[in-house]
Amino acid sequence: MPELDELETRLVGLTETDIQRGLEVFRSKLKAAEASYLNSCVHCGLCADSCHYHRMDSTLENIPAHKLELISSVFKRNFTAMGRIAPGLVGAKPFNREMAKAWVDAVFGRCSLCGRCSVNCTIGIALPRIFRAARAALGTMGLVPTDLQATVDNSLKHGNNMAVTKDDWVETVQWIEEELQTETGDPGAKIPLDKQGAKVLFTVNPREPKFFPLSLLASAKVFWAAREDWTLASDNGWDLTNYGLFNCNDEQAGAITQNLVDAMERLGCQTLVIGECGHGYGAARWEGPEWLRKSYPFEVKSILELMDEYLRAGRIRLDSSKNPIPVTLHDPCNLVRHGGICEAQRRVLRQAVDSFIEMTPNREHNFCCGGGGGQLAMARYKQRRIRSGGMKAKQIRESGAKIVVAPCHNCIDQLMELNKEYKLNVQIKTVAEMVADALVLDA
Amino acid sequence: MSHTVFHGHNVELNEEGFLTDPSVWNEELALVLAKAEEGLDQLTDDHWAVIRTIRAHYLETESAPMVRSICKTTGLPLKRIYELFPSGPAKGACKLAGLPKPDGCV
Repeated sequence: MPELDELETRLVGLTETDIQRGLEVFRSKLKAAEASYLNSCVHCGLCADSCHYHRMDSTLENIPAHKLELISSVFKRNFTAMGRIAPGLVGAKPFNREMAKAWVDAVFGRCSLCGRCSVNCTIGIALPRIFRAARAALGTMGLVPTDLQATVDNSLKHGNNMAVTKDDWVETVQWIEEELQTETGDPGAKIPLDKQGAKVLFTVNPREPKFFPLSLLASAKVFWAAREDWTLASDNGWDLTNYGLFNCNDEQAGAITQNLVDAMERLGCQTLVIGECGHGYGAARWEGPEWLRKSYPFEVKSILELMDEYLRAGRIRLDSSKNPIPVTLHDPCNLVRHGGICEAQRRVLRQAVDSFIEMTPNREHNFCCGGGGGQLAMARYKQRRIRSGGMKAKQIRESGAKIVVAPCHNCIDQLMELNKEYKLNVQIKTVAEMVADALVLDA
Repeated sequence: MSHTVFHGHNVELNEEGFLTDPSVWNEELALVLAKAEEGLDQLTDDHWAVIRTIRAHYLETESAPMVRSICKTTGLPLKRIYELFPSGPAKGACKLAGLPKPDGCV
């Protein structure tokens, strides 16, 4: 049965109990600051131009303040005295089937949780946190789009979001190890699996072993050149993704994070290194301890920070003339605007390529590629996703670069589609792929 | 929901261009999908080797094979797979083989 009907069926079947449970979960996710934000929007409209959805399709529904209004009107009606007494005066509205449908459309269908509206908000309203609370409420009402939830369910059931079996994973790692030996000419080059006490536990996106293993080969080559003491886990704990960040079910997100914590403990590693992935970094580095309600007994780093350290310490050397084609850099929202990893990838790229051109705008002001927030997993919103990605396509074209480096596999998939849809004629690569190609190897 | 015309009948595709019902797939339909979804006018023997490998794996396991398995079964190097299907193994090859869209960052 087509998915649209499934979601509509669930909407039609909503009971008063579902609505009440949704409201309870919504309220429980709002801390004092977020509750005050729900009364703070002054409708200045600056957020409209900040949002890639609105920039590419200027309908009212795409204005972040309008999406916020849907949510704050429900908050006022249910959780404020004035909203209960005089709803018409304060714009308070009931939470019913129609409003639940509008929420689904706004927070799943027109938002990638990129946070650019928040950066441009005159009063700094943390819109993504409020939209996440709304997603959590919808989740408890069974209103998460099926394909997004399936990705979370895969992680819970199989330990990775593409349901890759242990045998398939290990076979692919061994295959890539052979490729590494061929490429380096070193029969001793290894991709260690389950190495007890290794300093670094490296994690990847399942998309790499499943369909695009060249990025794993590139990362392994960099570790080999730096003589890193590293390992991959053969079982649960090799997948860095966590779509619990997007269905906003904190219990499920915590259970997925626990796979990484368990692998660190099982293997006795010191540093959890997150491969090139925006949401995976944000989930593991910043949200994980919140979900688990405890600090980690180990440090978490992005592989971008690690490569930056290798260069500073002279552990690897690069020859930028090996990468002569002009390169631009995409800033994944979860890694840069939300995650704070901003300069490491730039320092690395400047040494790895001859010609590095910044997109405009960049860093924390970057535009989302359009694939974030779980958009790539939700087939029903594909047309909006491609259309909203028009901002990124424009930035890429204006940069004049012929290679787009994106330190995020989710962004890479969206950029591959934008490349095709907008006929950009660029190559799309990870930072590690550029570094691996520029390595100067000792004779 | 979108459609592609095949032998005068509408075949239902999801928004991403994947078959809504994978069981309606046949090799003629793969050609139609190749043209409609991937802009490929014809499919070479190498294309067919990949598509048939993916299809057989799907019928056996209801999942897409690892790219490792595609390379091993067909004997084609990895880089050749990417050349054959510019949209990649998931949005290119699996789509033409009539599989549903894989979960995850694809």
